[in-house]
Amino acid sequence: MTAIVTPPAAVSGADRQTWWFAMSGAVLVGVMIAGLMIGPAGPTWWRVPLELLDRLPFVSVASGISDADWNIVWQIRAPRVVLAAVVGSTLSISGASYQGVFRNPLVDPYLLGVAAGAGLGATLVFALTSSRATVWFIDPLPVAAFVGALAAVFVTYSVGSLFGRDRSPIALVLAGVAVTALATAIQTFILQRNNDVIRQVYSWILGRLSSATWGDVRLVLPYAAASIVVMLLHRRLLDVMRVGDDEALALGVNVRRVRLTIVLAATLGSAAVVAVSGLIGFVGIIVPHVVRLLAGASYRRVLPLSVLLGGAFLVAADIPGRVLSDPAETPIGVVTAFIGAPFFLLLLRMRQNDR
Amino acid sequence: MSILGFCDLTVKYADVPAVVQFNDVVRAGEWLCLIGPNGAGKSTVLRAAAGLVGYEGSVAIDQLEIPATSARWRARHIAFVPQAPIIPPDMSVYDYVLLGRNPYIKQFARETAYDCAVVERVTNQLDLTSFARRMLGTLSGGELQRVIISRALAQEAPVLLLDEPTSALDIGHQQQALELVDRARREHGLTVVSAMHDLTLAGMYADRLVLMHQGVRVAAGSAKEVLKPATLAEFYGVSARVHHESDGTVVVIPQRVLPGSN
Amino acid sequence: MRTSVMVGIAGLFLMPLAACGGDSADTSAVTVVETTVEVVANYPVTVGELTLETQPQRIVSLSPTATEMLYAIGAGDQVVAVDEYSNYPAEAVALGTKLSGFDPNVEAIAGFTPDLVVITYDPGNLVDQLSALSIPVFMAPAATTFESVYQQIEQLGALTGHLDQAVQVSAQMQADIEAAVSGITMPAEPLSFYHELDNTLYSVTSKTFIGQVYALFGLRNIADGVEEGNDYPQLSAEVIVAADPDLMFLASGETAAMVAARDGWGSLTAITSERIIELPADIPSRWGPRLVQFVEVIRDAVSQLLASS
Repeated sequence: MTAIVTPPAAVSGADRQTWWFAMSGAVLVGVMIAGLMIGPAGPTWWRVPLELLDRLPFVSVASGISDADWNIVWQIRAPRVVLAAVVGSTLSISGASYQGVFRNPLVDPYLLGVAAGAGLGATLVFALTSSRATVWFIDPLPVAAFVGALAAVFVTYSVGSLFGRDRSPIALVLAGVAVTALATAIQTFILQRNNDVIRQVYSWILGRLSSATWGDVRLVLPYAAASIVVMLLHRRLLDVMRVGDDEALALGVNVRRVRLTIVLAATLGSAAVVAVSGLIGFVGIIVPHVVRLLAGASYRRVLPLSVLLGGAFLVAADIPGRVLSDPAETPIGVVTAFIGAPFFLLLLRMRQNDR
Repeated sequence: MSILGFCDLTVKYADVPAVVQFNDVVRAGEWLCLIGPNGAGKSTVLRAAAGLVGYEGSVAIDQLEIPATSARWRARHIAFVPQAPIIPPDMSVYDYVLLGRNPYIKQFARETAYDCAVVERVTNQLDLTSFARRMLGTLSGGELQRVIISRALAQEAPVLLLDEPTSALDIGHQQQALELVDRARREHGLTVVSAMHDLTLAGMYADRLVLMHQGVRVAAGSAKEVLKPATLAEFYGVSARVHHESDGTVVVIPQRVLPGSN
Repeated sequence: MRTSVMVGIAGLFLMPLAACGGDSADTSAVTVVETTVEVVANYPVTVGELTLETQPQRIVSLSPTATEMLYAIGAGDQVVAVDEYSNYPAEAVALGTKLSGFDPNVEAIAGFTPDLVVITYDPGNLVDQLSALSIPVFMAPAATTFESVYQQIEQLGALTGHLDQAVQVSAQMQADIEAAVSGITMPAEPLSFYHELDNTLYSVTSKTFIGQVYALFGLRNIADGVEEGNDYPQLSAEVIVAADPDLMFLASGETAAMVAARDGWGSLTAITSERIIELPADIPSRWGPRLVQFVEVIRDAVSQLLASS
């Protein structure tokens, strides 16, 4: 009837895809450089990119930057910027993957109890170490938060599978709500008995990138990288799952295994990130939605673009925290909440208009 | 063209039997229609064949029993169109039809040129070429039907299962959908099994009917043989007339017994 | 990775509302403490793990108590920035800096090009970050005993080149406290008291530093034994009414009138005889030179009560 039609560019669009990736990559790099340039003290801002150029092989530029100032950039700002990028990427892709696997646009990576479990682990550490001057070989805080997060998700998954019928994702979500409530209750109880550490705990809960060191980055990177890679591998399968568990199964997808793998990968990444930087909220929900608005709902694009733009988002969100309440710090969780709340309202309105 | 065989198929939902010892052989290229009242087990038979529920007994294609563990193998041989397919409104027609190629695409790999070619061919055949870029949420009911069937055809499976393909459609779209399926069946040599409520339509399109009641197969044969007033009264509890048209069509007309008349 | 010993010590945390204590309690009478810091030559000086080559001229203090100590020992001129809660003495406030000790902005701190930073609490990596910038950090944790108070003053004295003054200050403090305590003889049945941290009835036991200050006078703390293992128990109104303490000390910022107005409290002895003392702000939560003031407030309250009965 009609001649063979080449797949339309918008759909299998190699060019459009490359354009999006290139743009997002550029945004990420740009924002990271901005993050290195902006701060309450340190070198004048334009010296920083010059010095960065100078550090490239074969390039020699005089930036006039002092050693002390460069120290600030490299020892204080750089790990913070890199950590923000890693945290933002991991949380965003985890959020996007969860949204795909649970087919619900409102889920975030903390859905299955990562947040509550990590918070409980951290609270225990603060409570137990508050009244004695103990010397720890390694800092117990990230370990406890990490273990707490994993334990909570483990319980959620066990309970959800036990009581859920027909591989239902709703059972998992409900189990996650229950586990979160329980962990939060235990945490509150412990705080009540150790109220001298309340401020520390809440400070941790609000999330903090300001204390980032290269050690933190090294700690997080392997987990984040592994989890991101696994999730990226599954992006085509997440697209298939958009038609529901039954149809995906009938199309040959091992739905249960995909869901389990994604949950494991996202949990691992989120737990590692939370362990080092506290609970930074909204990133896992906002970024995937924004990516969808920009580049369409296909997970083949949403996942990788979430990695790039999620990193950029958090790096950018971290910048005001440094300078807004100079010389103090505004916790990053507060900044993301300030952006997140109106965003949700916007999302709600848009969905309203869709009907 | 493939033969689909059911051997002692039994399905239980939490110890409650939904399908009991169902046996049938659907010949290559045949259209079998499962009929029966609500809860008879028609959908369950299809879902079992599609691998969505566990079962005892066996389902075989060309006498090769479908391995319980390989969803991909099953998906390459059986295409299943559920009663109410989920339509993501923000997915393009092209991408949706491409989903049908999933059983052939390696887990973590992309689609190949061949996969794209199949999608194009199928969208061509169903006159969807100009729709390829459009989002599913913008399509009309009739257009969606074609898209759904396209996806099933993209699976290049010799067996096509349809669960209540016409229940939610108006009379015009009902005819369109069934004509589409019939055309595809003839063009691709498909073996079709459908579960349907509308007895007249079932008789019109299917080569053979199987009547089920409470999970058990109670009658089988051509439309003329199965659609008899006594049979319908016994298993549907309906009071109906059966009319035979000159061209052989069997028409089932529910009869209204008005109070006061005899 | 955080491996610094300082971080371990950082578990001792000071809330603005309470000077927290540890669990080793020295409730015996105050003894005059010999100076613990040896002076060979002025600089370089080593205190603990910290070595300073020259006298620091640009000190940043993120601890309100350390600020008070620094100014008391004469190192005030060397201080260039303090945290937002350092509200005493006036010279510190006049600096106009408002760094944060709880959410520190390392860059901002570095912006003052300090040659010594004094902190009480490491919220996370602070010591590591400052070390990465080669900025010397001195950890002055919350006091657990009186001895640690004097030791800390002298350590700061040694670091800032004011050891003589520091020794003087600590000796004077000890003498003043001794004098205040010896003027009081507690009867055989000791007076009881209730120290209120906030209006949700949190209190402190004798195992905390604050508790030890009261214990100098032999006062009986009604919060002792209420909740095993918790040094900051939340008492219930019933417990307080049942215990009917002779004295009430408010560190919560509430007034005596507000406390008296609480339902069911009107019958308490301390309220009817007006034995509620509103502690001056910040005094109970710091362990610096103004500790003497705290002791004297308690002494005044006790001696008044003893005199009237």
